[in-house]
Amino acid sequence: MANTMDRRRLLSTAVLGGAGIAGATALGSLAPEAAFAAEPVKVVPGQPDPNFAEGRVTTINGSVVLLAGSDGALYRIQVTNGTSIWKFQPTTFDRLEKGDGMYVRGVRLPDGTLAADSLWANIVNLTAHIASVGRNVLHLDHHGRRLIGHVVPGTTAAVYNGTPAISDISLLRVGGHVQIIGAWHPDTNEISIATVYAAN
Amino acid sequence: MLQSMAALQSLLIGVVLIWSARIKLLDRRAADQVGTSALGTLLGSGRAVPAYRLLGGVELVLGILLVVPPAPVAEPVAASTLAAGFVGYLWYARRAAPGSSCGCLSAKATPVTGRSIARAGGLALAGLLGAVAAGGGYWLSAVVDQPAASVALLLAEVAALVALSPEFDAAWLLPLRRLRARLTHPLRGGSGIPLLASVQQLQLSGAYRQVAALLTSDVREHWLEQPWRMVCYSARYQGRPATAIFAVPAADAAPERVRVALVDDSTGATLLSLTDPAYAS
Amino acid sequence: MAAVTGEVSWFCCGSAWGPCASTGRGACGTCTSGNFQHAWPNASAACLAITRPDTCGTSLSRRTCGFVHYTTNLCNGARVGTSIADCGPQTDLFCGERACCGSSCGTNRIIDLTPAAYSAIASLSTGLRPCSVNTV
Repeated sequence: MANTMDRRRLLSTAVLGGAGIAGATALGSLAPEAAFAAEPVKVVPGQPDPNFAEGRVTTINGSVVLLAGSDGALYRIQVTNGTSIWKFQPTTFDRLEKGDGMYVRGVRLPDGTLAADSLWANIVNLTAHIASVGRNVLHLDHHGRRLIGHVVPGTTAAVYNGTPAISDISLLRVGGHVQIIGAWHPDTNEISIATVYAAN
Repeated sequence: MLQSMAALQSLLIGVVLIWSARIKLLDRRAADQVGTSALGTLLGSGRAVPAYRLLGGVELVLGILLVVPPAPVAEPVAASTLAAGFVGYLWYARRAAPGSSCGCLSAKATPVTGRSIARAGGLALAGLLGAVAAGGGYWLSAVVDQPAASVALLLAEVAALVALSPEFDAAWLLPLRRLRARLTHPLRGGSGIPLLASVQQLQLSGAYRQVAALLTSDVREHWLEQPWRMVCYSARYQGRPATAIFAVPAADAAPERVRVALVDDSTGATLLSLTDPAYAS
Repeated sequence: MAAVTGEVSWFCCGSAWGPCASTGRGACGTCTSGNFQHAWPNASAACLAITRPDTCGTSLSRRTCGFVHYTTNLCNGARVGTSIADCGPQTDLFCGERACCGSSCGTNRIIDLTPAAYSAIASLSTGLRPCSVNTV
């Protein structure tokens, strides 16, 4: 905990306190073309990407996660301090559980392990109709199947027709179309809603 | 009494079939969508449209026969068989082509649900009742004999069919649910600035545009340090693993004030710090 | 085809976990979340009848299964090549919706990428990005 606080202080100081450095590298000194010279993604269109994995967690051992891919493949995922972990919101490694579904992007090492850069657990992105609403619950019609979407006050964000995200979800309309980024509750028809995008 | 009520079933089924045939034969939008309906998935889009039209024709003929006299027992039997066929088809479609449209009573793409299957089952039972109990009686004489009871029964049956038809939900169920939501306010909005608002603002900033290609991860952690929200990503700068920390105004929408610093993960040294010169402290 | 700008999102397909399981292999029968593939609103006449980008004033060329598009995330310049594997997104449901990064904006949903392809150019948790789509 103290460690986290120290690190956060170091990072905050770097971004807020370093006036001298800021002067030296103010906006514009990093040429956009240099910043945009990212490695192009080299995968044949239509083919699988070796730097991506998808599946459900079978084992968590130390910082290694074993995934059973939906297509039958097995993946070994190495999580590091630099890995971003999303499970309903940015979170920490200890929140991952056996049975979670996940998408992982990283770098494939020579031994076949995927060193994870980003890991998204149970993330779903679906378009649906709001069939009805209850107390902090959206009943969603997702292609003829009923899904229960839980609203988490304070965390769930709503974007109405491209406007900035707000916490107020009371403007959602029964019968309206929505896109939802959420976290699936494994082996149920329930999700927690992270973001709901509503059409007007 | 039972006999005349049973005779009314022919009228009900006849009208439903004619309605359904009208959609299948005349509505171009419905025909356009057949390829993606359950029928299209099961038969292939090439054969789906002719099959859909043929079914519409059969429904129309049977519907007219049921409504006009005479009323041989064979008619409700045929209607009941057709409805039973629908039950089987819908049940199979739900398993084989989940999520695809039913193409039943409306041009609106409506997925096959338990309700559509129950509706077809209800029609099959109504047909069966007509076949077994009507004894060849014509529905018009039933209406003339017992007008009030007949109209009440038909209204009740139509109400049941509408209740079982997802196609008609927009007309009655949604307004009811909207009204309930307006009265009870079940989604009383949350407060505070969601993380996404800060991430959106960060992405609108010049600072982000400068370092975006260096970022290798999604948001790794975030915290509030008034008046800022700090948002961290992993990054790679000149071959070194680093943390990109953004300071985003927490309460205001001011993307031009967003700052970023890249901090070396192993040494803790600040590799890069970007601020709009106009706002540098 | 000149580059089209709009919004990009992602969708899951193939055998997969969660509420995705019902999606199946998509309209082309080849769709898999782990492949570099996408859904295109004008993959066929039947597809266009559902997605209706024309109702939002967007005209998209007819491109069939297997055709390759290149999608650029306007926030970071990252680009990915993917082949058509499904019909979508349903553009008409979100007519006029706009996503921006800096001064670069995209209006209307014109393409959905698989998680593998989307995560190569953006974070899955963002859900929606401004993009430009090209054929070369």
